[in-house]
Amino acid sequence: MDLNETQPTVVPTVVVSLPSRKISLRPMTLSDVDDYMVWATDAEVARFCSWEPCTSREEAIKYITDSVLTHPWLRAICLEDNRPIGYILIMPVDKIRKEIGYVLARKYWGKGFATEAVRLVTAEIFKEMPEVERLEALVDVDNVGSQRVLEKVGFTREGVMRKFIMMKGSVRDMVMFSFLPSDPFK
Amino acid sequence: MPSKETNVQENSKESSSEMEIDACTLKAMSSSPSEKIHLRPMTLFDIDDFMVWATDINVTRFCTWEPYTSREAGIAFINNFVLPHPWLRAICLDDDRAIGSISVTPVDNIRGEIGYVIGSKYWGKGIATEAVRLVGEEIFKEKPEMERLEALVDVDNVGSQKVLEKVGFVREGVMRKFMCLKGNVRDMVMFSLLPSDSLL
Repeated sequence: MDLNETQPTVVPTVVVSLPSRKISLRPMTLSDVDDYMVWATDAEVARFCSWEPCTSREEAIKYITDSVLTHPWLRAICLEDNRPIGYILIMPVDKIRKEIGYVLARKYWGKGFATEAVRLVTAEIFKEMPEVERLEALVDVDNVGSQRVLEKVGFTREGVMRKFIMMKGSVRDMVMFSFLPSDPFK
Repeated sequence: MPSKETNVQENSKESSSEMEIDACTLKAMSSSPSEKIHLRPMTLFDIDDFMVWATDINVTRFCTWEPYTSREAGIAFINNFVLPHPWLRAICLDDDRAIGSISVTPVDNIRGEIGYVIGSKYWGKGIATEAVRLVGEEIFKEKPEMERLEALVDVDNVGSQKVLEKVGFVREGVMRKFMCLKGNVRDMVMFSLLPSDSLL
């Protein structure tokens, strides 16, 4: 199948499927709303995120429409049945720096899915964006699980930035990680 | 910019009733710079003193900007950047002439970034250290919403790193390929000072 085929009347979003032994990545759609709600309503998942847990399907539809579908680079993390268990995204910081972020439903924590998603995206992003010199991640000091994900992929832990970000009313220390195009994967 | 450690010299010619300490030894023993400095707002009247450091390629080496080549450009800089700046001060000696400047620029609601530049003739005298210390002492009182004062220093700018360390900033780590400086992507050392930190 030629993934880059275009239809005569409609130009679809190019669906780049990044397969791995465990997960695949694809754009999110509105039809993912019910799977989205599984993690978005979970206070444990939202704990280190900038957003509060979602409280209704309407709210979820609005958020997907306004923030997810419009995002410059966001991919659903899917298992074999192609249903999302979370998502991963890349945010521009400036011309040479991008920031990676990811969220996973709690049921799927501790199985290496986030690690695989980060590994896939990190490898892909430098090919897609050759101007990027640095991919970084900022993780709450208390979010040890997420720090381990980045370490397992091969990100460099550069240091703790004290009182770096205001998160839900409190000022948090954040650990800065980075991955350069020249870095080796673990 | 380089700053040299001062050496404490023992005065070997003590008299029985008092210890004679000459002026050089006294300056060397104290932690203050050899010349007293104060901070004040910068004005257009400082243009000629500004041009002394702003045209110096040694000074601009680790700055994002190239040396200034005309007085008009200098005046434009003072008008467009210095005067509207939320917090920028001239670093002055006793004669109130500016020998450099120091600024705190908001990064966001809780973070400020400190930056400073000093004429190369005045390097190595503890002046930058004193200026940064003065700011560290005052800025959190002036800006109580500020939770963090940070500084980003080029990995190769060892002198400036020493300034921040001497004041008591915490060296948090090297951010690799962090900033574009004159066409090159540089590794930068991140430092921070919190209101709760003790100044050295």
